[in-house]
Amino acid sequence: MTTTTAQTTQVYQVFIKATPEQIWEAITTPEFTARYFHGARITATSDRYHSLGPDGSVWGDGATYEYDPPKRLSHEWRSLYDAELGQEEPSRVTWEIEPQEGGYCLLTVVHDELEGAPRTAESVSGAGWMMVLSGLKTLLEVGQPLVDYSGEQSR
Amino acid sequence: MADDDDKVFRALADPTRRFLLDRLFERDGRTLTELESELAMTRFGVMKHLRVLEESGLVVTRRAGREKLHYLNPMPIRLIHDRWIDKYTELRASALAELKSRLEESA
Repeated sequence: MTTTTAQTTQVYQVFIKATPEQIWEAITTPEFTARYFHGARITATSDRYHSLGPDGSVWGDGATYEYDPPKRLSHEWRSLYDAELGQEEPSRVTWEIEPQEGGYCLLTVVHDELEGAPRTAESVSGAGWMMVLSGLKTLLEVGQPLVDYSGEQSR
Repeated sequence: MADDDDKVFRALADPTRRFLLDRLFERDGRTLTELESELAMTRFGVMKHLRVLEESGLVVTRRAGREKLHYLNPMPIRLIHDRWIDKYTELRASALAELKSRLEESA
């Protein structure tokens, strides 16, 4: 593959065998996110999107732009888990949950407005979002996390 | 969704479709017109290939005003990787670990 600058709009889509409500809970409550999101304890409310690392440090803190359970969540993204990335301009992450036939939902994650955050764009593009979403799918469908983050204290 | 992997492998089993994915990997969010300009193929032919890629989930389209933009979705390939490749690397790793302990036992 040729090297390239990371995309300023990134789109990830995955089918998950779960209800919209289960997916919504899994992306907005810390008990769930800690099991698939690099151990981060994320709380999403109608006005804030807040993320704590396993060691209690702030990994993310930003405004919620759209909050429409269990269909759509859009929030500010700041990479505070890394000193260098944390200094970049905020970007935006949008989650869309669409029910499908057969008990599946189509989950679409769009990470955009990354023009002012090229290092964040690079960091989330490689294995970043893919790892998180693959882990979310496994957790909801199998009931077990893909990677065990329980023993992780810092990164 | 059991046939999802089949669709992904079928979609990848064509050089034109892999070329389209490579173009989107370089730069996402392209229109049909942009993609068509890089191929010696009719617009209809490119549309057909893009439809196969969309059905496999490897390409996702989003509307931006009047334009339809095409994005590369890496998730289907990642899931195949997680389901298959990881198994093999795990096996190889455990085989090596076993070899090491046997060699050390006999030494």
